[in-house]
Amino acid sequence: MNLNFEQVAGPYQGAMGGLAWDGARMLFATVDEGFIRSFDPATRATGEYRKFANRINGLAFAPDGRLFACQDGGRRVIQFLADGTAAVTATRLDGAVHNHPSDLVIDRAGRVWFSDPFSKVLAFGPQIFPALDHASVLRLELDERHAWKIRRVTYDTVAPRAVQLSPDEKTLYVAEGEVGRKGPRELRAYAVRDDGSVGPYTVLHAFGADHRGEHRGIEGLCLDSDGNLIACGGSLEAGPGPMLYVLAPDGAVLEAHRLPGGAPMRCAFGDAQFDSLYVTSGDGCVYRAQSTGRRGFKRW
Amino acid sequence: MDTDLIAPGFERVVDRDPPLDSIAQGLTFGEGPVWDKRSGQLYWVDIIGNTIWKWKPGVGREVVLRPSGHANGMTFDKEGRLTVAGWCSRTIYRFEHDGTITTIASKYQDKKFNSPNDIVVRSDGSTYWTDSAGGLVIPGMVAQDVQRYLDMMGVFRLTPDGKEVQLVIADCTYPNGLAFSPDEKILYVNDTRLALIRAFDVNPDGSVGPGRIFHKLTGTEDGVADGMKCDVEGNVYCTGPGGVHVIAPDGRLLGRLKIPGHCTNMGFGDDDWKSLYVTTFKQVYRTRVKVPGVAVW
Repeated sequence: MNLNFEQVAGPYQGAMGGLAWDGARMLFATVDEGFIRSFDPATRATGEYRKFANRINGLAFAPDGRLFACQDGGRRVIQFLADGTAAVTATRLDGAVHNHPSDLVIDRAGRVWFSDPFSKVLAFGPQIFPALDHASVLRLELDERHAWKIRRVTYDTVAPRAVQLSPDEKTLYVAEGEVGRKGPRELRAYAVRDDGSVGPYTVLHAFGADHRGEHRGIEGLCLDSDGNLIACGGSLEAGPGPMLYVLAPDGAVLEAHRLPGGAPMRCAFGDAQFDSLYVTSGDGCVYRAQSTGRRGFKRW
Repeated sequence: MDTDLIAPGFERVVDRDPPLDSIAQGLTFGEGPVWDKRSGQLYWVDIIGNTIWKWKPGVGREVVLRPSGHANGMTFDKEGRLTVAGWCSRTIYRFEHDGTITTIASKYQDKKFNSPNDIVVRSDGSTYWTDSAGGLVIPGMVAQDVQRYLDMMGVFRLTPDGKEVQLVIADCTYPNGLAFSPDEKILYVNDTRLALIRAFDVNPDGSVGPGRIFHKLTGTEDGVADGMKCDVEGNVYCTGPGGVHVIAPDGRLLGRLKIPGHCTNMGFGDDDWKSLYVTTFKQVYRTRVKVPGVAVW
């Protein structure tokens, strides 16, 4: 099946960030500009959802409707609340300020799983806190006093980019690796144990390198209603270019599509039938393909 | 301590090899030094450590307030009450004589301040402060509400009767330190991001005229435009690359005090107001200068 991607928003300044469907509008983060913006498919109008978002990337709604967001420049995951305020969660792992959160997924228990890679862009203000000595997937959860705490989930990643959970939440998908950092670029599936830790991973998809350079891996992940993975990645520098893949849970490639624009950033389902795919791009634009023949997975 | 003599006149301000004493260590982000002339004590904050400290020579230091809402700049008002730029509480608050704490300002046009940074009280009793937005985003400084509402970063004034918050300077990029000239006819405001100091003529009603560039900071070492104070001869002391820059009233750089570490602010103190207490990220230092600072209340 062909997907016809059209530009629906942009270009904005800089590479784009995360996406989240709020039931009527697609929210998207313009990271460098510091906004969360919206696209209304009914009117095709774009709007401002939040100003002064301060380098927000990944976006995800919690079961109770709060919008969680990865604020890479603030080195924290924050919550945008319905009253217009914004609240911080926890910011330290075992006492140390963690790195620069990039992508997140929220499970049915309300726990926030997020990738915490290093970043070339410095945090806001003076550089007081060194980066962690690892770049891992971390998880925010409420302790017995209802205070946020952070647990480390992966111990074998060096550049986790996108995170996603299978519909039964027994598998954690991690898009690992970035060009220029030691280590492979691959899509991993970690078995989630009952205690919330993860077991060894299997590799569902891997990316290579050639004389033009390393092939950029996956930056964005979402699920369709059958539990298949929608993954966007690649770049214009090396490899086949900006791509969107549909992968079965075992890694079988079901579909592959070229994407317009620059390096793909994040992808998400949206629109009234929840069958359109939105992709943000390194060229500052949001692209959409309608009537994909698939519907997005709704966790609740 | 090393000094850089840049221009004649610096010898009037400071000896070639002034003393440097470390009076407090183990901080994460020192700031807000202010001398209490009644008790002979220095107050300062550790912003990330979320604490207001005080220290008495020969005695030692103790906690004044923890948590402090990540307090930042501090001064004394005309009644000798410690008045605080509440960086992450997003308020201006003061310690009453009975020890209770009163919030004296928290909103402009019904919108929360960004994050009050540094503060000074004029002799008419009005309070001026810079309102940059770093307290909403800098790691380790966590406000309860990190949403910014105001479209500008500027300088505010609370009228002497405490009833009205006025926006006196609206066109800053990242306002930080501020200080009045000794005669209070000029308000100096620095800008961290632009690395410069502007001078504003103060009107009788407390408003200010248009700003003019007074000095552009130079140097490649660690350090930015942050805290700022004046001495009684009108020299302007401003943190910057390499330490504390001393700038003549005509805007010329006279020299630098090369304080070790990343300087954040300074305050004059001791009975003769000739000690200069300098906060860095990790420590509080004391040195001696030859021209007294402008006394705090």
